[in-house]
Formats: sequence, C-alpha cells, structure tokens
Amino acid sequence: MPAASPKTVVIAKRHFELWRDQVEQRMRDVQPEPIASHYVVIDSRRYPPKQVVSIITGVDRADFTSHHARRILTGLGFPAGRRQLNPELVERNEGGDWVRVRRGTAASAPSPRSAGSSMRPSARELEPFIGEWVATKGPDVLVAARDPRTVVSWLAEHRQQAESMFRVPEEEYQASGIAPL
Amino acid sequence: MRYRFQELPGIGGRARPVVDLVVEGLELAPQTCLLDTGATDVRMGGHVAELAGIELATTPDREVVIGGLRTTGRAARVQLELRQSFGSHIWSPTVYFCDPWPWAFGLLGLAGLDPFLAIVDAYEEWVELQPLSR
Repeated sequence: MPAASPKTVVIAKRHFELWRDQVEQRMRDVQPEPIASHYVVIDSRRYPPKQVVSIITGVDRADFTSHHARRILTGLGFPAGRRQLNPELVERNEGGDWVRVRRGTAASAPSPRSAGSSMRPSARELEPFIGEWVATKGPDVLVAARDPRTVVSWLAEHRQQAESMFRVPEEEYQASGIAPL
Repeated sequence: MRYRFQELPGIGGRARPVVDLVVEGLELAPQTCLLDTGATDVRMGGHVAELAGIELATTPDREVVIGGLRTTGRAARVQLELRQSFGSHIWSPTVYFCDPWPWAFGLLGLAGLDPFLAIVDAYEEWVELQPLSR
C-alpha cells in the first residue's frame, strides 16, 4: 500500500506533512458531502476531494482546486473516481481511454433484464454499506449511516432529494417479507 | 411505470420486488417497501413516523409478529404517494409503525395494494403498479 511514509504537499503556499492513516482517522466520523463530479474513496465512502483536504489541513476550499486535492489524495494511495453524470451512461475503458457509452451496450453493463424501468444501485455499489441505512438516487448512493436519522439530516442539510431509502441487509431475514404469523 | 427490483449484496443473489413510497412529511427520503402479498397490512419502522412528524403517542400499541420476530406496532392513517413517470398516485392507508424494526425495507402488504393492479415479472425483475379508479 502506498504512502506508508508521509507525503509533503504545498497548498496555498503552506507546507503540510500528510499521512494516509491520519487522513483515514480524521475522516472516520465525517459524513461525505454531495459528490458533484470527482471523488476519493476513504474507508469505503466517497468524499469530494476538496472536503477532505479542507478538513485535514484547515485550508479554505477557495484556496485550492479540486484537481489539486484529488492529486494529493491519490498520492496518499486513496482511489479516486468520477461520478456518472448521466445514469443512462456508464464509463468503459476502451484501449486505455475512458469513454461514456449507453448502459446496455457496455460489455460490463448489467443484463438487459428490467430495461426501461427505474434505475437502482447494483449489489456491488451497495456492498460497502452492508448494515447501514442508505439514501440513493438512480444508481448512486448519496449517503450512508448507521442511523436513519443521520441519513435524513444529511439530506436536509445538503438539500438533496433521494429516490429511495432503505437498510442494506446483513442477514437474509432482514430482506424477506414473510406473512405475519 | 415499471420499478426495477433491488439487488442486494451477499444474501443469495436474488433481487427483491420493491417500490419507493413518499410518506407525508418525509418527502426528501422516499421509503423503499417490499411488495409483500403474503401480508395484510403496511408496516414500516417506527423511525419513519418520528422523522415524518407523525404523532403516535396517544395511539394504542399492539404486538405484531413478522417472520417469527415480535415487534410493537402503532397504527396511523398516513398519506402515501407513489411517484410515476408522469404525475403520482396519492392514497391514505393505515400504516403500522413498528419498534424494533430490524428489516431492510418497509412492507407493502395487501392493504397498501388495494388501489392498484400489481404486475410482477420475477424473471425480468420489475414490478408495475397501475392505479385503478374504483
């Protein structure tokens, strides 16, 4: 795993020494803000890069760019990605280039079952959130938390409208509708 | 409008038939409910009533057994909304809000399906609820 040693970075003319572990620890209790485009993954959660860098350094977000923040965090070994801007489109790597293709034409796209119906997150998207309450919109998880009240507070605070809210089940019985005895 | 089944990680791999219902007072977080034709009523977690500001303090409670687990439910007549591609369908069934609520989804039993013609395609993994004028 990269960044077992500290990484020295310069942000707004200030020098910082950052450790991967330190970033993970600092972000542990911080709810991610809405993702506009780019994100980094810390402890299975997606954060806007600027949110993370601002929190760990205390530097005002207006003093650095999203790309700068993303570069710093990927340098510490955190995976980064880009949100699908159109849920009907997926990103696919073709010959080393990322291209956007319509869902269903990509080799890695889900099966054509239920084509034409509303979008939902896949099992793979939900895997990091087992046991948590999630609010979702199309194929994206907007927010996840152990308590449903935290999820709703986050939606209200960030003026987000979810399409679905449920708990990602840990056990089979939690997802079963069994008639009352 | 067709609603896609919800895939779930790590528990047998079969997607579940669900729809998202807007509970009056909790518009920003529609509650995902499992279509449960083996159940008679609509049931949701007690936290939904709390978050939606539905007063249950004076409502008598009753024991409810779901899937062999005992919980306590309080009934309230609540406005639910099913959003469709164009417009939406609004109705007011009795909903039992239960504590504890260890389940992943709300349960949309028969009382919640009264106003609809429900079509489930298990192979293609979608459900359609067509509002009926009765």
